[in-house]
Amino acid sequence: MEEDLKNIVESAKQKVSAVSGRPGFEAFKAEITGPNGALTRVMKNMGALPKEDRPTFGKLINKAKQDVQSIYDGVLSGIEEAELAAKLGPAIDPSLPSPNATRGTVHPLTQIREEISRIFKQIGFTVAEGTEVETEYYCFDALNTPANHPARDLQDTFYMKDDADFGNVSKRTDERYLLRTHTSSVQIRTMLQGEPPIRIISPGRCFRRDTVDATHSANFHQVEGLYVDKNVTVRDLKALLDYFFEQLLGKGTTVRFRPHFFPYTEPSFEVDFSSKHLAKLGSDWVEIAGCGMVEPAVFESVGIDPDVYSGFAFGMGIERIAMIVYGIDDIRYFYQNDHRFLKQF
Amino acid sequence: MKLSLNWLKRYIDLPEGVQEIADSLTLLGFEVDDIETTGIPQLDNVVVGEVLDREQHPDADRLGVCRVALGDEHGETTIVCGASNYKVGDRVPVAMIGAELPGGFKIKKSKLRGVESNGMMCSGKEIGAGEDAAGLLILKNSPELGTPINKVLTDSDTVFTLEVTPNRPDCLNHVGIARELAAWYKRELRYPSIDTLPISDEVVENDVLKSVEIECEEECPRYLATIIKGVKVGPSPAWMQELLASIGLRPINNIVDVTNYVMHEYGNPMHAFDARDIADGKIVVRKATDSEEIATLDDEKRTLSEEMVVIADSHKALAIAGVMGGANSEVKDDTVNVILEVAYFNPAKIRWMSKQLALSTDSSYRFERGVDPRSLEFAAKRAAELIVETAGGSICQKKIEAGAAPVWQNEITLDTDWIRAKAGFEISDEEIKNALQSLELSVSVQNDGAWLVAIPSYRGDLGRPIDLLEEVLRIYGTHRIPSGQVFATAVAKNDHPITEYIRATRGYLVGQDFSETVTYTLRPESEFAAWTDEKVMSDLSLKNPISEDQTLLRSNLVPGLLEVLKLNQSRKTGATRFFETGRTFGESRGKPVEMVSVAFVVCSEGTEKSWRDVIAEDYFSAKRRVEELAKMAGMDLGKFRVNPASGDNKAWQAGHAAVVDEPKAGFAAQIGLLNLSYTKELDIDGEVFAGSFSILSERIREPKRVKFKPFSLFPATAKDLAIVVDKGEAASEVVRAVGKIASKATKGFDVENVFVFDVYEGSGVPEGKKSVAVSMVFRSADRTLKDKEVNKAFEQIQSQIREKTNYDLRD
Repeated sequence: MEEDLKNIVESAKQKVSAVSGRPGFEAFKAEITGPNGALTRVMKNMGALPKEDRPTFGKLINKAKQDVQSIYDGVLSGIEEAELAAKLGPAIDPSLPSPNATRGTVHPLTQIREEISRIFKQIGFTVAEGTEVETEYYCFDALNTPANHPARDLQDTFYMKDDADFGNVSKRTDERYLLRTHTSSVQIRTMLQGEPPIRIISPGRCFRRDTVDATHSANFHQVEGLYVDKNVTVRDLKALLDYFFEQLLGKGTTVRFRPHFFPYTEPSFEVDFSSKHLAKLGSDWVEIAGCGMVEPAVFESVGIDPDVYSGFAFGMGIERIAMIVYGIDDIRYFYQNDHRFLKQF
Repeated sequence: MKLSLNWLKRYIDLPEGVQEIADSLTLLGFEVDDIETTGIPQLDNVVVGEVLDREQHPDADRLGVCRVALGDEHGETTIVCGASNYKVGDRVPVAMIGAELPGGFKIKKSKLRGVESNGMMCSGKEIGAGEDAAGLLILKNSPELGTPINKVLTDSDTVFTLEVTPNRPDCLNHVGIARELAAWYKRELRYPSIDTLPISDEVVENDVLKSVEIECEEECPRYLATIIKGVKVGPSPAWMQELLASIGLRPINNIVDVTNYVMHEYGNPMHAFDARDIADGKIVVRKATDSEEIATLDDEKRTLSEEMVVIADSHKALAIAGVMGGANSEVKDDTVNVILEVAYFNPAKIRWMSKQLALSTDSSYRFERGVDPRSLEFAAKRAAELIVETAGGSICQKKIEAGAAPVWQNEITLDTDWIRAKAGFEISDEEIKNALQSLELSVSVQNDGAWLVAIPSYRGDLGRPIDLLEEVLRIYGTHRIPSGQVFATAVAKNDHPITEYIRATRGYLVGQDFSETVTYTLRPESEFAAWTDEKVMSDLSLKNPISEDQTLLRSNLVPGLLEVLKLNQSRKTGATRFFETGRTFGESRGKPVEMVSVAFVVCSEGTEKSWRDVIAEDYFSAKRRVEELAKMAGMDLGKFRVNPASGDNKAWQAGHAAVVDEPKAGFAAQIGLLNLSYTKELDIDGEVFAGSFSILSERIREPKRVKFKPFSLFPATAKDLAIVVDKGEAASEVVRAVGKIASKATKGFDVENVFVFDVYEGSGVPEGKKSVAVSMVFRSADRTLKDKEVNKAFEQIQSQIREKTNYDLRD
């Protein structure tokens, strides 16, 4: 009998290598410990043994059972491993690309706009928004632009039809609707709504009646900024733009003011920059922005006392900055949206 | 404006470097757009030579072998020459060995067809003196042999093209700019001189012009006529012709040239009439009659209107005031008596006339920006004297004039501490005073210490202390404004809700592999038929579009995105997923409105081949995105009715797209497959799924602070129902109906969720019907639900559905 047990374990050890899959395992198991299995039969025969032999034999049986169980465990873990491997499938080639080959991209004009917004946010400027459809009052009159100023011509500015009446763009009186030529209209509406101190930038789409070519576009984007407080000086304006352009264009960027004329600022300046980081600009000083101290007449039109408050405003073209920063030579790329262009940024 | 350096030098001594002058002009506020140098550049080893004799080249018919004399220093040499326009004895420019001509051409010793040549005789073009390349430049007046050519051809000039801002009409002439440079360089300004003619006692009788009458004083406050008798019309002197030509003016005759010269010198437009042509010796400044015609100097016949102003005699119009003279009274070769008009016209009127007539002249350009009305006498005297100098004749002492110059007194009280406070940095009183005085603003210190600054009449742009700040900074040098600390004193707030909304949607869509695009706001009319109706189209159309493909404001972002898809398809870039954020325009409560929009498109064709399939876009993936876009604006799309796109929707495919139009909530959304025939018409391959969400900007809700809601800690129980409904019944309706019944049927616990988990049509479901399988989730806040209570509710729900709806339950 002891021999039988040995044989059973031995045979199990031999047969186990041929066992594969769960059904095979179950059949294998049945042959040994199933109702008619070899081990079960031996155990059934135990009753026939003399009483005094039973404890010894019981031990042998237990030993055999343990051996068989450990064979089972070994087989089972092998099977589970195989099953898991089957579920996982073959190993991947980690060098294969994601099938979603075209990545989502942020438009370069947005990237520049957001970069500008971030820099100004650091010094307390928040983004204000306005409508693209505006009225003559907010786009020109309130900005001290004379009634006969050429910028107001049908030649230069897009107007809506005379009877247009936009539900969510308020008019001052019965002036005409137009497409804003700058985002300065946002400054006017902001000043009309709130008390100084005011620190805003207003990025956004603007329109000029230009024929499209490499440097002109009927719609384009601008960022303008406005700061109104007590005792704001020309030097503060210079300091701000020095800081901004160094942040935007890199350390060592310098900025100079040139006198200029805008109806809504006095004094007015054009801003040139010079930077070592941007090669191939063609000249030492490159025009980049316009700025000035808010014209007292503009303050008066929005009910801010120019004897108490002063302020400055500045504006620049987002396309122009993007073209300089990225080295793009044609404005039309921005509006064509060829993905080979978009994905470079 | 064009500015000649030679001309400028008549009034001020300037530094040598052209770039230096250009930089100074720039820093004074006159941007230099262009610098053009005329005449020859500095040329070394190019001297005057004389052809002593010419022999035919032995081996070349067209070449001559010349002996050339180059003066004592350089002696004689032999030069082979191909030109044929010269003769022995002519003096010509000779480039000797070692010379370098414009374009980098170096002169070396050489052999031409075997004959030695020691230099080159030059054409005008070869040395940069004009365009003539046909033959040698034959030098006139026999200049001395061996003279460097730069000493012979001295008429070089530099012409700056300046941008003069509209506030500075006083700088639209050479004296004005010279005055600015004089202030910058602190140098003396030499005004043009008058009273230069020899004094004569002879009385020159005016028997030419009887009177000047102004009928419209508002348009013409002042008119000055000077009579010059006995002129001899001919060419103006060379120096004047050269200066006029340098700034692009064609010399005409001595009279006309003087009027042009004085305008560009001193700034006053003026006009000369032939006295013979003025009927009855009377000049009248009057309004034109309606449809009055006049042939102007440019040989165009122009029709005037009643609001225009003309200079006329008793019969006819002689000139369009301030704009252009008439052909009927122009100065001719045989003109003897000249009437010189120097006047002041209302700037707005001239601007309007010039625009109406589509005729902008040097004269109208200056009048519409503002000519100093107090300068007429000086300009008239200057011009009259120059006419006499160049054309002879004599000036009638008695001028005929009408109107009066407006009184000019402009003094600004200035506090220099105020200047420093506005500037934000230290500028000494001395510097301020110097700056103002250098610009000819006279400063007098009052008893109280304040300054009184007197403004000359040509500086109409200066009226307030702030204007003087600009002048001080200009002369101080705006490039010297110091930098400083950036102060951030204002309270920072959140960016505008639109900005934040757009940022959120952009981040979401880029994260889903969409590429952001920027397309034009103005779109062609043809595109709108699919998107909107006639009324909206009319509201969105521009009054003055610039081209046919940009006539209306966009009503939806999708058409622009389709254009992008098409471009990328035709260029095979492999990109198929695009979005845009921006403003669109629609209608709300019968009025046009501006909306904030986000839209995306996905095309089934055009991706590059991939080693594994990508999950295809369908209505439901698009819907998910639009729901997110709505949610970011604070709108729960689930609470609104989603309507299937109708059969006559030209933009969206019926049966595969839906629209949510909620004017009350201020938004609209469209989701799904674009109409197949529409995209086919646009030549786009494949199917395009798209989504669009537009909202009135004032309806965008800023994300609110969330209030935590406690939740049950007990398990949920679910029950499923298969409900047979009409095929056309919306699943959302079934869910809504079941949800309503379920909440009523449950007592003491909640219906947490009701959702569709299967939709089935086919065997076992009657024709025209479908089976919607709905799962209901029940939960109690305070206990584990018992089967009994759930089953009771479930039974009640079933019976209620049978009773209260026209739905059937499937067993």
